[in-house]
Amino acid sequence: MADVNLFTILMDGIFVKNFLVIQFLGLCSFLGVTKATESAKGMSMAVVFVMVMASIAAFVINTYILRTFGLTFLTTIAYIIVIAFLVQLVEFVIRKNSPGLYRSLGIYLPLITTNCAILGVVVLNTRLEYTFVQSVVHGIAAGIGYTLVMLFLAAMREKAEVLKVPTSIQGIPHAFFITTMYAMAFVNYFGVIPT
Amino acid sequence: MSNIVLVIESALVIGGIGLMVGIVLIWASKKFAVEMDPRVEEIEEILPGANCGACGFAGCGDFAEKVVGEVAAVSDCPLCDFEITKEIGRMMGKEVTEKEPEYPIVLCNGGVHCIDKVEYVGIDDCRAVMMISDGEKGCKYGCMGRGTCVRACPFDAICIGDDRLPHINKNMCKSCSLCIDECPTGVLVMAKESEKTHVLCLSYDKGKAVKAVCEFGCTGCRRCVKACPEEAITVTNFLAVIDQEKCTNCEKCIEECKQKTIRTANHTTGVEATA
Amino acid sequence: MAKMTFSGEIIRGITKDNPILALVLGLCPLLACSTTLENAIGMSFAAWFVLFGSNILVSLLRKQIPPITRIPMFIIIICTFVTITDMVMEAYAPPLYDQLGIFVPLIVVNCIIIGRAEAYANKNDLKYSIADAIGIGIGFLIVLAILGFVRELFGTGGIALYGFEFNIPIEPITFMIVPGGAFMTIGILMAMTNYNNIRKQRKGVA
Repeated sequence: MADVNLFTILMDGIFVKNFLVIQFLGLCSFLGVTKATESAKGMSMAVVFVMVMASIAAFVINTYILRTFGLTFLTTIAYIIVIAFLVQLVEFVIRKNSPGLYRSLGIYLPLITTNCAILGVVVLNTRLEYTFVQSVVHGIAAGIGYTLVMLFLAAMREKAEVLKVPTSIQGIPHAFFITTMYAMAFVNYFGVIPT
Repeated sequence: MSNIVLVIESALVIGGIGLMVGIVLIWASKKFAVEMDPRVEEIEEILPGANCGACGFAGCGDFAEKVVGEVAAVSDCPLCDFEITKEIGRMMGKEVTEKEPEYPIVLCNGGVHCIDKVEYVGIDDCRAVMMISDGEKGCKYGCMGRGTCVRACPFDAICIGDDRLPHINKNMCKSCSLCIDECPTGVLVMAKESEKTHVLCLSYDKGKAVKAVCEFGCTGCRRCVKACPEEAITVTNFLAVIDQEKCTNCEKCIEECKQKTIRTANHTTGVEATA
Repeated sequence: MAKMTFSGEIIRGITKDNPILALVLGLCPLLACSTTLENAIGMSFAAWFVLFGSNILVSLLRKQIPPITRIPMFIIIICTFVTITDMVMEAYAPPLYDQLGIFVPLIVVNCIIIGRAEAYANKNDLKYSIADAIGIGIGFLIVLAILGFVRELFGTGGIALYGFEFNIPIEPITFMIVPGGAFMTIGILMAMTNYNNIRKQRKGVA
């Protein structure tokens, strides 16, 4: 049982310990998806949703199955199965109900399975011994923080396309330099909330 | 002994979770099944998969759907060579006739040969330049040479040469015409491969005004009109235009043109003219 | 298509298919675990072990795994090795384990390992899969080590590597240790790689 209040978890997750730029989780898809704001929007929505669902499912599995049998070393494998399952389910539902969204997400939807951010949230929930409510709030906070950075960076990169930049810096290095400055903005939050 | 129990327990728990997950997914795949015409997938398989959007739809998957839904024509994908288009036609039960390949040409000889009327400092993009009093060059109809077309090309087939004009690499160009959509001045147009003679100018300015700013602009002198044996050239508003249906590529107009505006379309085939 | 050789595949994993500079995979552990050189080396060896195990097992089982279930199968195989690494590290290298934190279990979703399983081990026999694992592992180690070295040297004014210490007379630049420095350093490294590639391209063409 972690002795932290929910507001702290929320603010921590979004700002002080932002998943993308401070904890470095979820970077692989970050570069590909932030090329356009449309895909960034779609990906963020899917990620927030999966994060919350995964937090719930992982908590249930950990508390009622793994702990009961004393098999806590199986957390990694159980969590990844759950996440893959949730992503596949989300894919089915989106494909049926919103083909446009399904098309625009394209390959990014199955890619959420290997997104370090999702597994990161659930592993952190376990390590920090959060209760059910704390886990869910943590999932929401992580999702919001992720969305903030994704949208902002996609917007910046879209604008940056018309800038005249030396060829070696074009593309990924340029994206990294933009992220550097954005990351420093978040680094300023260190120590704002005493943890 | 308890180790064996642990192993068995682990296997059972993970196996159990996996089994449950599998059952739910099988149920979900049936409940959320989407009725898909198998032809959509078959067509998508043989499409080039560049997802360039030249067909006007959101990627190859969307195009395949629209073809099956009879919203898009079978030959709407400019990247497909004739074999692929024929195959799509066969799947849809439609006849396809072969189209001649088309490549973009630049209707401008300006570039470094056209003076700049202002020194432009700003976003390095033709669209941005054109928004400021018809561009930075002396001629407002010509190519700005800042590379909007280069960036629009998904296949890296265009580059701006030392003459500040775009050069299109025929071997890499897939005729998707995305560059033409992006060009703000309209100097980029599609031309069939067999149409080799073009008036590389779009200027409606009077002869003296054209000569004052551009070395190779069309002054509307009508020498080409008289030279053409097929009467394929007309001059309207000080600009000569060749009717490609009548043109036989005899090149008499090229000989006669004092301004050297009429030329043969020259696409590059390699990386010769790099900026 | 040149014939594959064992050493050729190793070199390819280090240069042409360098996981970070060429394939742009595995960025999460790269930036998070390069705060000191020791962490960087520790993380790269942990990931290397998992890559080895996964490449070998996937390559051995590649004919048996039905294509439609291959991604979940790969993940489970990789998971096994990750759990082993996790437990061994917790027992035998607790300070490193504390430093790397959640990134040890996160090796399971390291895009490099799944990527190589899918793109290489699934299609090639055991010998070349091992070569690939060696090459990619060395490639990963080199980039991680460079990043760790630069960040620790400029961030703390010196390097502390398994008891060996080395200091330079500069004021420590904390910027290098915080996320900002990480992004900037990898940005510079990639820009340098791009410049090198473009230079090679220009030479080859002209």
